Amino acid sequence: MSVSVDSSTFSGDVVRRTVLDNGLTVLTRELHTSPIVTAMIWYRVGSRNEELGQTGKSHFLEHMLFKGTDRFKKGAIDLLTLKNGGNNNAFTSHDFTAYYFNFASDRWEIALDIEADRMVNCVFAPEEFEAEKKVVIEELRMGLDSPWGLLLQELDAAAYKVHPYRNPVIGWLQDVERATSAEQQDYYRRHYHPGNATLVLTGDFETDRVLDGVFEKFSAIPARPAPPAVAAFEPSQRGEKRLEVQWRSKVPRIGLAYHAPEIAHPDSYALQVLNLVLTEGKTSRLYQRLVEREQSVTFATAEYAEAKDPTLFHIRAEARGDHTADEIESSVYEELQRIVTDGATAQELDRAKHLVQAHFILSRERAVDQAMLLGQVETLYGLSYIETYLAKINGVTSEDVSSVCSRYLTAANRTVGYLIPDASTAASDDAEEGEYEDA
Amino acid sequence: MKTPEAEIGRSFEVHSQTLPNGLEVLLVENPAIPAIAINATVLTGARYEPEDKAGLAIMASNLLDEGTTTRSSFDIAAAIEATGGHLETDASFERTVAAAMVLKQDAELGLELVADLLINPIFPEDYVAKEKSRTLAEIASAKDRPQVVAGWALNELIYGTHPLHRPAQGYPETIERITRDDLTTFHGRFFAPNNAILSVVGDFKIAEILSRIERQFGGWRTQAVSLPTIPKPVRQKERREKFISMAAQQSNIYLGHLGIERTNPDFYALQVLDTILGGGAGFTARIPQRLRDELGLAYTTFASITMTAGIDPGRFVAYIGTSPENTKLAIEGLLNEIRRIVDEPVSPEELQDAKDFLTGSFVFAFESSAQIARFLIQAKIYNLGFNYGEKYPSFIKAITAEDIARVAALYLDTENYTLTVSGPMEER
Repeated sequence: MSVSVDSSTFSGDVVRRTVLDNGLTVLTRELHTSPIVTAMIWYRVGSRNEELGQTGKSHFLEHMLFKGTDRFKKGAIDLLTLKNGGNNNAFTSHDFTAYYFNFASDRWEIALDIEADRMVNCVFAPEEFEAEKKVVIEELRMGLDSPWGLLLQELDAAAYKVHPYRNPVIGWLQDVERATSAEQQDYYRRHYHPGNATLVLTGDFETDRVLDGVFEKFSAIPARPAPPAVAAFEPSQRGEKRLEVQWRSKVPRIGLAYHAPEIAHPDSYALQVLNLVLTEGKTSRLYQRLVEREQSVTFATAEYAEAKDPTLFHIRAEARGDHTADEIESSVYEELQRIVTDGATAQELDRAKHLVQAHFILSRERAVDQAMLLGQVETLYGLSYIETYLAKINGVTSEDVSSVCSRYLTAANRTVGYLIPDASTAASDDAEEGEYEDA
Repeated sequence: MKTPEAEIGRSFEVHSQTLPNGLEVLLVENPAIPAIAINATVLTGARYEPEDKAGLAIMASNLLDEGTTTRSSFDIAAAIEATGGHLETDASFERTVAAAMVLKQDAELGLELVADLLINPIFPEDYVAKEKSRTLAEIASAKDRPQVVAGWALNELIYGTHPLHRPAQGYPETIERITRDDLTTFHGRFFAPNNAILSVVGDFKIAEILSRIERQFGGWRTQAVSLPTIPKPVRQKERREKFISMAAQQSNIYLGHLGIERTNPDFYALQVLDTILGGGAGFTARIPQRLRDELGLAYTTFASITMTAGIDPGRFVAYIGTSPENTKLAIEGLLNEIRRIVDEPVSPEELQDAKDFLTGSFVFAFESSAQIARFLIQAKIYNLGFNYGEKYPSFIKAITAEDIARVAALYLDTENYTLTVSGPMEER
């Protein structure tokens, strides 16, 4: 273990950052409130790293990491998790792929054993690959049966011209159907190695013992060259884009996507505050306007998540009664204009800042929540993001909010998507129910 | 690799006390984070609402924070949001809950708001109208989801005339019928301290939090509450099927029948059965292993009888979402696995693994203050005892392969079941 940095982060809690000689970053944080340990490994690979025609590869790979190594055959990882009374899961995003185990605190070694092995020894048996492809395709289909799954997929694809954030994390069906085990294996070799990973351990353990365990399991894995950087840059948008997506529902749904900056960009903090002012809680602007006064939506929400590259600020709402997407859209624009003109009130700013501060405390009760936060921040930017985060949010002024609203949430920078009824919808009233037997 | 045998029970020091007005108060000090979880549960829900006013209980719970005798809807939201905490209300078939999560320094305000919502709601006429229209829109939106549609159909066929046949949020025609009077009557009839349990868990000292609780809830007036008796649902003696045509990507398939009550002594044997048949960690159970891992039919497939056990019998349910052309294969696959666990003894290894999983993962149910607060309420409602955390491993360890065979034969039925399918129907 060559480098070891003590990194004092939020509320005086100590997170230790250790880097092994082979490049593996290890974050440890003791938490002795429950007899539980979370072990989570994050790889700096997600759909942003995928080549044209091979979308969905990162996510498919995540599935394959449960399909066996020479030591842990297919099914063995889940079986060991079962026998040890734990749980495990994995998730993939545009920017990362992560795997985790939660175990009672006397059995965390199993997680390290499995993660160290499958970092490099996954076998990709062709018959397993083809069998799992069917499962991934079912998952993809399931997503398309969700109205928001479909609308956001199409909206993002239209918003970006170039950057791979335009592709759904699960991939396009045609690409997934054609995926091969050989391509998958090659991708795995390029992206799964110590220097491209962060191992996070949180919970009820002694740091020194855990680090010994990490060293024992991981230090023999050879370093490999860093994967090539993603070279795609999204050009500026030069005017509003609009699209209609046909689906089998009569309920109008609207999604707006504005290009917005990446994690830790100086404007990103004011945009986060803007997000809270617009849609967080019943006192928020869009709730008061759309749910309370106009009663035009069942809900309205905004999303602006931290991302490695410039990302999207989404606003979306579902119409109710006879209200139309047009009507909702104009109301949203009026509210945005009010922010541009008058900024946020002192009360709104105060509330947003309190929400962020309280969330920091209320959302880190479980070991898995802490591992999630640490792993994500380290993977996207570095732990320094957490150290300065609250101060930056606290520094946001009313002018900042109005300024980011006027610069980013503009007509020329937006893509507007409507979900509209398809041909099947007109007929569906009569044919809603098929046969019914009570035999 | 060693497979530790350690028992991971979890016990708490529970302070239990009944206020003079009949409110049961359950407290656990848990200074893990400087915050407090409050859970106030009234023992009423959709099972007590009239059939022609289905949706009343959920609507009442949604309107608790839309105005009280002391605060407007906006004031309630502004008060909680200014602290960064959460306040939420919800109802199920058997419970209505007002819950809050606040920072330690906001304990008094959290308790005050929860008490205000339960004791003083006024169900303002304009908010009743808004809530009705929002609920109608939500029902319309939910109908877009094939899994929801198939699930609703399953309950209708399993429960017959028992209240659980209904979607908890009601039907459009029953929502239309609900008036402000219905809501105030429902509130007046069931919301009383002697029909409620309050659990508070977090960073406080018992004496200090008790005096706050007495201050906020002490004035809630006792009244006679008589909970209506609901005839037990009857298990079907024939097969029932329903196919619902939807232009969807997947067929959503539910296969099931009446299940068990939470207080059924076979609950624990059935939890082990669930783990072997359709639950457990990852895809280790028979149904996901066979239908997902081996046949590649689905991303999501599971089965359980204990998950929905409550005051009323829940449902035994096996679910799969699959491509329409695989519908028949998937139904056969589910049935085969159910038949197999009824007809053949489970292997000693499967049994041991399932038991190790249940006793080992039990600890995850008590990780946060909010989870502990919910557990205390459950422990009270189902008479589990506050030392349930210590007893649970022994309940599970006692289960034998003969127990599994007995409960499988007794509670699972491979002939007289309900099958509902939503999705494209042309293949059939």
